[in-house]
Amino acid sequence: MEFNKILVPVTGTPADDEAMRLACRLTKKNKGKIWAVYVVTVKRSLPLDAEIEPEIKKAENILDRIAIVAEEEDYEIETDLLQAREVGPTIVDEAVEREADLILMGVIYKRRFGQFSLGNVVPYVLKNAPCQVILYHQYTPR
Amino acid sequence: MPPARLYYIINILLGEFAIMKVVIMGCGRVGARLAGLLDIEGHSVTILDTDAYSFRRLAPEFGGTALMGNGVEEESLKKAGIEEADAFVALTQGDNRNVMAAQIAKHIFNVPRVLCRIYDPLRRELYNTLGIETFSPTTIFAQMLKEKLEVEE
Amino acid sequence: MYIIIIGGGKVGYYLARALLDEGHEILVVEKDPDRNEFICGELGSVCVRGDGCEVATLTEVGTGRADMFIAVTGDDEDNLVACQVAKHKFNVPQTIARTSNPKNETIFKTLGIDVTVSSTNIILEHIEKEVPTHPMTHLLDIKDKGLEIVEVKIPPNATTIGKAVKELKLPKESVLSLIIRSRKKPIVPTASTVLQAEDQIIAVTTPESEEALRTALRGS
Repeated sequence: MEFNKILVPVTGTPADDEAMRLACRLTKKNKGKIWAVYVVTVKRSLPLDAEIEPEIKKAENILDRIAIVAEEEDYEIETDLLQAREVGPTIVDEAVEREADLILMGVIYKRRFGQFSLGNVVPYVLKNAPCQVILYHQYTPR
Repeated sequence: MPPARLYYIINILLGEFAIMKVVIMGCGRVGARLAGLLDIEGHSVTILDTDAYSFRRLAPEFGGTALMGNGVEEESLKKAGIEEADAFVALTQGDNRNVMAAQIAKHIFNVPRVLCRIYDPLRRELYNTLGIETFSPTTIFAQMLKEKLEVEE
Repeated sequence: MYIIIIGGGKVGYYLARALLDEGHEILVVEKDPDRNEFICGELGSVCVRGDGCEVATLTEVGTGRADMFIAVTGDDEDNLVACQVAKHKFNVPQTIARTSNPKNETIFKTLGIDVTVSSTNIILEHIEKEVPTHPMTHLLDIKDKGLEIVEVKIPPNATTIGKAVKELKLPKESVLSLIIRSRKKPIVPTASTVLQAEDQIIAVTTPESEEALRTALRGS
């Protein structure tokens, strides 16, 4: 598998790092581009352009850290902080706009109402992505 | 004639009891039961429902009027005698229908006493502050169950 | 402006689309998950699934900062309650409700809704304008003053033809403001202006004295 334009949505979990390392390896040979994106969700009670300081700071830290992870793999990536109402559609729009050929995202095992759940972002991306999608699942011993 | 009703009619004749004219909207379990209780005490009861099948819940000896009609429509309310009513009770399954009918009864027809069931506690609170006498079975029943659990073994 | 629309049916959807084109921030609240998905697919993340009459839903969608609140579900009572909750709980400055039953227009007004739109009444008004034999046409409502502007046509057999304005038994609340006699020739009527057949008269009146005005102008 070889890819030239990879979008890596990050959320600040340990799975992000491994997903980023994997993205670097998948495109190293082609010297492709990698974007790490973080989506800050803005509640409807606030205008979309509201400046939510703590959230933005947190997002910047996560993006800085993921850039360092890429550097350790000898790779320079671009990072992008987006502000939106919903995460899924934003990731898909971003992939369309950048003509990405892969979305690579880390997931962690979650239970909701007693059942395994991928949340609502991953299923939306899987359903609507304009390109290939790889989910990386981080093994966490219980 | 059931003895209870006879008793009340005698009371009325003796002038010890005021007859109310009550319009009830919604012939569900609660509506039908309330209609029966009021009727047996000698009040004049008209009960409205959009579905004639609901009237099966009324006791066979019910002496009031059962009327097919929608309580959020002025004509139906007029037909039910809302203009002379002393009280209006909204008891359909729809919170919004109840609250709309109750407001029409209170603000358009100036019915002196208007009671309204609203399942949603938050909406109940709002309409209470807007001057409609509202009851939420959700709140009342949950509270009652909680008290039962706390008090009894 | 931030505009919240309750009900994502045909009216809600096209309304949202038109208002988005005008550059407003729009949010549609819709109960049905399929309809919700359709709107989000067509218009982007502008639709939330929920009950627009519930305080919790309205809090979540930020009704407190909304400039306008429009309820266009298919049920009059839901539209009324949604608008009342928006108005009294969240102090939205402008509430608009759609009604199917034209009688609810006045009821909603009494119950404090700012604007009520009855599609039945709108269609009726259009029919009035399109059907030439209709004796009186409503041109405009000046709602906050309790007045309306109407047009009355004088038929060839009217008993008032040949009479001067001062001889007509006009109701106190009505004022004749214009007579259109032939093409492109409006006349401002005076007390001595004499009515002719086919005159079109534009008058200001109250809804209550509408009937009396019509009889005064056309005879019985």
